[in-house]
Amino acid sequence: MIDSIIIDGLAFALPMFIMAIGGIFSEKSGITNLAIEGLQGFGAFTGAFAMVILTNAMGTGTQVPYYISFLVAAAGGMIYSMVHVILCIRFKANQVISGVVVNILAMALTSFLTRRLNLMIFGETSNKFILETSVRYDVPVLSEIPFIGAAFKRVYPFEILIVIIAVIAWYVMYRTPYGMHLRACGDNPHAADAAGIDVGRVQMIAIVLSGGLSAIGGMCYAYSISANFSPDIYLGLGYLAIAALIFGNWSILPTLGACLLFGFARSIGHEVIKNLGMPSTYNDLVRTLPYVVTLLLLIFFSKNNRAPRALGEVYFRGKR
Amino acid sequence: MKKLMVRLLSGEKHQMFRISVFAVVISLIFGAAVLLMIATNPFASYLNLLQGSGLAPKRSYAGMRNMFTDFMSFLDAMTPMIFASLSVMVALKGGLFNIGVSGMMLVSSFCATALVGYSSLSAGIARPLVLIIGIVSGALVGAIIGALKFKFNINEVVSSIMLNYIFMYVLTFFINSYYLDPVSRQSINISDSARLTIIDIKAFGLKFDVPLAFILAILAAFIIRFVMNRTTIGYEIKAVGLSPAAANYAGINIRKNILLTMVVSGALAGLAGVTYYCGYVGSIQPGVVPGLGFNAIAVALLGCSDPIGCILASFLITVISKGSIYMSSQQGVEIELADLITAFILIFSACSGFIKEYTDKVERQLKEKNFNEKKGGAQA
Repeated sequence: MIDSIIIDGLAFALPMFIMAIGGIFSEKSGITNLAIEGLQGFGAFTGAFAMVILTNAMGTGTQVPYYISFLVAAAGGMIYSMVHVILCIRFKANQVISGVVVNILAMALTSFLTRRLNLMIFGETSNKFILETSVRYDVPVLSEIPFIGAAFKRVYPFEILIVIIAVIAWYVMYRTPYGMHLRACGDNPHAADAAGIDVGRVQMIAIVLSGGLSAIGGMCYAYSISANFSPDIYLGLGYLAIAALIFGNWSILPTLGACLLFGFARSIGHEVIKNLGMPSTYNDLVRTLPYVVTLLLLIFFSKNNRAPRALGEVYFRGKR
Repeated sequence: MKKLMVRLLSGEKHQMFRISVFAVVISLIFGAAVLLMIATNPFASYLNLLQGSGLAPKRSYAGMRNMFTDFMSFLDAMTPMIFASLSVMVALKGGLFNIGVSGMMLVSSFCATALVGYSSLSAGIARPLVLIIGIVSGALVGAIIGALKFKFNINEVVSSIMLNYIFMYVLTFFINSYYLDPVSRQSINISDSARLTIIDIKAFGLKFDVPLAFILAILAAFIIRFVMNRTTIGYEIKAVGLSPAAANYAGINIRKNILLTMVVSGALAGLAGVTYYCGYVGSIQPGVVPGLGFNAIAVALLGCSDPIGCILASFLITVISKGSIYMSSQQGVEIELADLITAFILIFSACSGFIKEYTDKVERQLKEKNFNEKKGGAQA
């Protein structure tokens, strides 16, 4: 039982973590990013589409389409994030509104395109791309360790990918000039500009990165939770990732803690329902747990939070 | 091109209205492009939207139906949209972004359904009760979000989204456990005497629905316009929305106004909920966050955060969403197309501030150029 709590909790928490990392990049650069929800959905859409096409072409024998689909998803998310870039940086729109707009457009666009593409290519009327659930591995040796070994049992390949990306993201954020510039833009864009940094460019790269990372997160959920792409992917997990990063005080390691908390709250709830033999309708109550935990934690911790100082402010060069 | 844009969009008079129309026209052109890409006639499709909303005659009608019955049903669909957009609009005026309309709608309609919808009260008592429960429960949710904002500094966007999903799942649990109609997989239809729409009245040889709350929605828009533009309360809310620091300096109580804004916004969202679920539809679908709450954001932005603008914008967006059913059956296109066009409208209205500044800038430049040329001519 504890094993499955850890396994399911990690499978839920890590994709959320990578979305939250994307969010941190964007918000540290001073751009409020509520678009994560739409970005992850759009990424999952492109990835799932690639997967369906590739498995048709290459057969189900290989794992190649699986990995390519993540690349395509990231590319799709990056391209789609340009909508947020254009609205926030070029058109100086309100960033909260822009984020919500991007989400609504993603929902409309992907559900329209899914139907259309299904009809055009496969001649079916269906609003989903069926995927198979991802394969899972036991990490040799490590999974033998009692108790904590569960973290290495029945691991999705993408979980390893996420850990690698998270380490790289941490390095970029805190150990490279770009990361330094990015944090400067979020705290004091005018000073950054005076120091010769192109604020718009730094912010654009940050949003595009967040698009790619969110998309990978969305693709992971498409492979694990739902095993298909359908409009049901818009479960609000992107918003949950935002709550995680706020709770994590806009830094990467504490955010991981927040994501793990959400993941374990959920998997513990499911296990409890299963073991007490309660009817399956109670699962709906369990599904509220991550959201309830988020709200409660925000109530207790948001006072101590320090958001990037220029977060959400539209940057005008001439403004004082 | 630039000159044309300046001529159409510059100047003080009704500028925001003209920019909104501009945004709609551009979006419709985008929508037409999409329709052309999937080999569908855009004009016929747009005509279908009007026909489906009872604004243009269809080729044939079922028995006891005609354009008027379609139009009444259209008004029925438009009523919750007006309330929802007013809710978003009031919050926007107060500097808050209420994305929790969907959750408020679910809560208010569920309370009304559970408390009154299945009772045997007569229509004269049941209907006002439904409205009151809607207002009170919506206002309570609004108060929670407002309190979280000013007491704990939680961004209202995050908290209201969390609440949306919490309410949706909790309600799904209750509906599936206690109120489920096993055939329709929705909550059991509420009694006709509690329903805010009178269904299938037979008169003049027709059978049509009467949305009782439509008048109320129009009335609410005018009341809010009056309160916002002519009273101290409205002035204070707007002041807090524009600059909390300045409002604080002027002695306006920010906390009180944030709470008040959210309570009013919540009450309106509650009305949207009861007019939608206990009027237009009559039952609640479990497991779904209503998209109307999000479309309302589009409507409020498009309506330039003005109550009358909201009515006009609700009209337009309802034409698209209501007419899309007829369009998809006639043209064989996906019903999601309506959402896509709505999303285009939303994007372009999000840029309205930029368009305004841009035309103002171009206008200034053109004036300067003209002035310099004249001066040059005089010197020569």
